[in-house]
Amino acid sequence: MPPLFCGIILFRIVVRMKEKRDRPPASIFFLSALFAFAATAGLGIAKMKTAKPELPRTVGPWVRNEAIRTISAENIFEYMDGAGELYIGYRFDRLEVTEYTAPDEKNILVELYFMKTPDDAFGLLSLDWGGEPVDLGVARQSAEKQPTWPNALYGEGLLRLRSDKIYARILAEQETPRSRKAVLAIGGAVVKDSTDSSSPTLLRQLPETLWPEWKQRRGVTSYFRSHLVLNSLYYLSQENIFDLGHETEAAITQYERESPLGIQRFRILLIQYPDAGAAGRALAHFQRAYLPDHASSSTETQNTVSVEDGWLGYKLNGRRAVFVFECKDREMAAAVIDQL
Amino acid sequence: MADKRKSLTRRDFLQGTLGAAVGASVLGTKWLEPAQKAAGSSLVAVVRDAKAMDSANVVNTEVLKTMLDNVLTKVTGKTTANDAWHSLLKADDIIGLVPTPHLNPTHKEVVEAVKSSLIAAGFSGEKILDAQGGPDKPKACTALIGLPGLKAHWLTGIGTVMKLYILYSGSARSYHDANSAKLGGILNLPFVKGKTRLVLVDALHPLFDKGPQVDPRYKWAYNGLIAGTDPVAVETVCLRIIMEKRKANKGEPWPLSPPPLCVEAADKEYGLGTSDWSKIKVDLSGWKEDALLG
Repeated sequence: MPPLFCGIILFRIVVRMKEKRDRPPASIFFLSALFAFAATAGLGIAKMKTAKPELPRTVGPWVRNEAIRTISAENIFEYMDGAGELYIGYRFDRLEVTEYTAPDEKNILVELYFMKTPDDAFGLLSLDWGGEPVDLGVARQSAEKQPTWPNALYGEGLLRLRSDKIYARILAEQETPRSRKAVLAIGGAVVKDSTDSSSPTLLRQLPETLWPEWKQRRGVTSYFRSHLVLNSLYYLSQENIFDLGHETEAAITQYERESPLGIQRFRILLIQYPDAGAAGRALAHFQRAYLPDHASSSTETQNTVSVEDGWLGYKLNGRRAVFVFECKDREMAAAVIDQL
Repeated sequence: MADKRKSLTRRDFLQGTLGAAVGASVLGTKWLEPAQKAAGSSLVAVVRDAKAMDSANVVNTEVLKTMLDNVLTKVTGKTTANDAWHSLLKADDIIGLVPTPHLNPTHKEVVEAVKSSLIAAGFSGEKILDAQGGPDKPKACTALIGLPGLKAHWLTGIGTVMKLYILYSGSARSYHDANSAKLGGILNLPFVKGKTRLVLVDALHPLFDKGPQVDPRYKWAYNGLIAGTDPVAVETVCLRIIMEKRKANKGEPWPLSPPPLCVEAADKEYGLGTSDWSKIKVDLSGWKEDALLG
């Protein structure tokens, strides 16, 4: 704990200096405060680095195996083949795997994915909002004024949840009322000390409604960084035509409305880049790769284009780019990108 | 050839650049049924039994054995499983069984049933090897029997037949992105080419979304075995079943994303078989409810 150590040394030096005078100056109190701050900061940093949920040793008849398998980015493919790309696409740190076993019961597998940020954990959960939202007792962020997103979803024996930087999958090999209870109890242990249930700031750029009648389909709103994830949500190209990567953030969703002709929908893709230069280069890449037959618009930073499945629009705004797909006409595409 | 392939975009699918099977899978359009099958169609046999698994998804090995015998005779046109095996394999073949190893793996009961059936047909148990793994595995075999589990795949659309031999490449990760279309090329590797005598898909408890990681919400008891000697035709039938199940689940078309480019590439670029539905004859027998084959 370097801050603590330095604080101690500094304090002792100043105290010794001041001992030669009869009156202790205010600087001693300042340095005392500095010492106290350094000590607690050191402890705080230590706590952040090692924050790890304590899983119960027993849950009903199930007993946790003592062995925990730790998987890194280097060997994740040995563990889960191509599924590993999903987690690597979200700035994966490590995976810890353990199992619960019980006589006369099937196993419960616990996978804790430690990600770099809570946004990455959120993103993994956002890939599928299906299932039953369950309240495992995660404290809500009072500052967040947007409607909140579920933190935990359960379905047929699988609990998926996010807790700070952790995304977890807790899977009962066979669902029974007892295994459900056990799975939820384990999930509760994972989230017990959770302090951050906020959603990515980027999602707040997507309004709940556009004009009165177009509503965001929250069930298909996802947050991601990787073009492989984009392709699993909405295929646009084999290649990474938006220059997505760990330094970018992206969100995709649909808006829909009821009409006499049935439900109408369009799709928005919002990407934030590290800087305006990266955003500009990405837009140019998209134009070359997706709109090669619209070369005349290749230098436009805002445009609407008719393609095979409707009107497409895009706009560059600093380090952010917004794309809209499958609009019914040019006016709608233009109006959407103007709104965002 | 594959490296110079134009990068395919969504617009290519919308323009109808690609084959009907892949196009239908990504756009959610209807599979077009031809008036009649083309001459020389590839036969794919689908055998189902409602009792193949119980309500806890435990496999009934007796029922499975009967299903296996049936699918073998239907694929080969022979009257017994023994004769079927002998029409596919040579007596001195070193036979490699290639199951899906994990993440919705091939049921061990299916692997055991195949092995037992081969032994019953007179093939030496010592010459029946587990051939799933690195390149050394197929090199040790003169014949391969693919035994994949039926599942969708988040990277390749479908992760069943064409993906089965990915470890033979020695660089599985290189097929995870745009290069997934090159999966068929693995079957043309010198130490693999021509060895696959049968593809038998474990369709007892398939996964229709979010593969390869298992999500029980997307598994269902299809209770089937799907087999053929044309791996692309088998994959195409599997693709159709997955697509129809997705549509049934959502109540509306639920396209696969990304599209299973490997299927058409296996046909058009690697010449491994046909993905043209008009050239695939499906012989469906047994339990017909929700067969998802039109």
